[in-house]
Amino acid sequence: MTLQAPSFPTPLVEKLPVKVGLRLSPEMKQFSHEEKVFGKETWSVDFGDANARLFRQLFDHMFTDVTILTADDNPDLLPIDALVETSIDAFEFSVPEQTSSNSFAVWIRYRLKVYDDRGDMIANWPVSAYGKSETKALGGSDALEKAALLAMRDAAALMIMKLDAETGISSLGAVSAPATAESPMETDEDVAISVNSDNTSPFVAGGINQDAI
Amino acid sequence: MLYSARPMLRSLTVLVFALGLSGCITARMQDNRESVTGIAEGESVVIMARSYHLGNETEAKYISCVENALAKGSRGLRVIPHREFVDSLFPWFEPRTAPAETKGLPKLMERPGVAKRLADQQVRYIIWLEGDTERVAGGGSLSCAAGPGGGGCFGFAWWQNDADYNASVWDLKGLESAGTVSADVSGTSFLPALVVPIPLIARTQAAACKGLADQLRTFISDDSSA
Repeated sequence: MTLQAPSFPTPLVEKLPVKVGLRLSPEMKQFSHEEKVFGKETWSVDFGDANARLFRQLFDHMFTDVTILTADDNPDLLPIDALVETSIDAFEFSVPEQTSSNSFAVWIRYRLKVYDDRGDMIANWPVSAYGKSETKALGGSDALEKAALLAMRDAAALMIMKLDAETGISSLGAVSAPATAESPMETDEDVAISVNSDNTSPFVAGGINQDAI
Repeated sequence: MLYSARPMLRSLTVLVFALGLSGCITARMQDNRESVTGIAEGESVVIMARSYHLGNETEAKYISCVENALAKGSRGLRVIPHREFVDSLFPWFEPRTAPAETKGLPKLMERPGVAKRLADQQVRYIIWLEGDTERVAGGGSLSCAAGPGGGGCFGFAWWQNDADYNASVWDLKGLESAGTVSADVSGTSFLPALVVPIPLIARTQAAACKGLADQLRTFISDDSSA
């Protein structure tokens, strides 16, 4: 199953006045996962560059100024307030046979490392997201694709809600964003539902080597 | 030859009777009103599913069914498709972020653009659905065989589906709960087979959809004092 290029709605938020450099790890630009389930079918999920698209779109909506850095770019030479490095910690999925349900479920855990303009890491935040889709009416691969897209959308919602509260990135702007009700970022108590915003996951982590994170 | 033709004729007779029959359904619709309702011309409603993050399993096709049933007919309400609504207010009605209670509505309205977007769409009520349809019992035995001279089935099978759904109606005019409407439908389907299987299907979920939509329409529209 190959994910079609995802597109997310423009979020109803005000941008944070921070100049952000965004560096995407290689697996964000090309990520795939293959797994044999119950000794039966082998499922393959190819994200292509969907994760990179998600973060580019999201950061464009969340910050006033976003610069995409390649692996060779030196952030010290760029006029940015903060550098955000993103990677994928883990990807897991379940199929209906595993859960005795008619749903596919996908878990993705991203990791965001935030550095200030001196190069010091100020935050290391795991973002765990979840998506679920019924298999009825859709074929199995379509339902898995939909679950993956919903998980990415869930990650986007979580980052919009909690990125600033978790990382304090707004304090790195030249003019710190005021902590008003109009801020797009939230405190913990504002989040209606908090699911797996730590390292926990109902499944054993798989997909990529976590030691590399 | 005579012995083999009799069961066939009997089966066809049963089939003729069965065409006019279906499974058994019992349904109970209830509502619990907390405030005065009513809807003005141009105002709309949105049907949403409670979050699957909370373990809710409401089927997508059930939501679509209620949307269509509510909008149908001369007394139909103006229904905004839930996907369109959720996209227009991204990310505030995602499974993770949607308010779980009406006390979260004032805070939601303060967010940039949210109140205007809701006003533009003239959303008066948000209806949150939870529940699902499950097979709760079944039994019987049915076997089929086929050979060079033909095939057939013999036996009897049955199963029971329960559809339990609850709809919480939020009034965005007063930012309060207007009440709840529930549908509890139980349907038993039968599948007798005497050469030819004759399905007598109880359309449990469809009955729960129509029943809930009718009750919701009455709940929202019938009080004209708003």
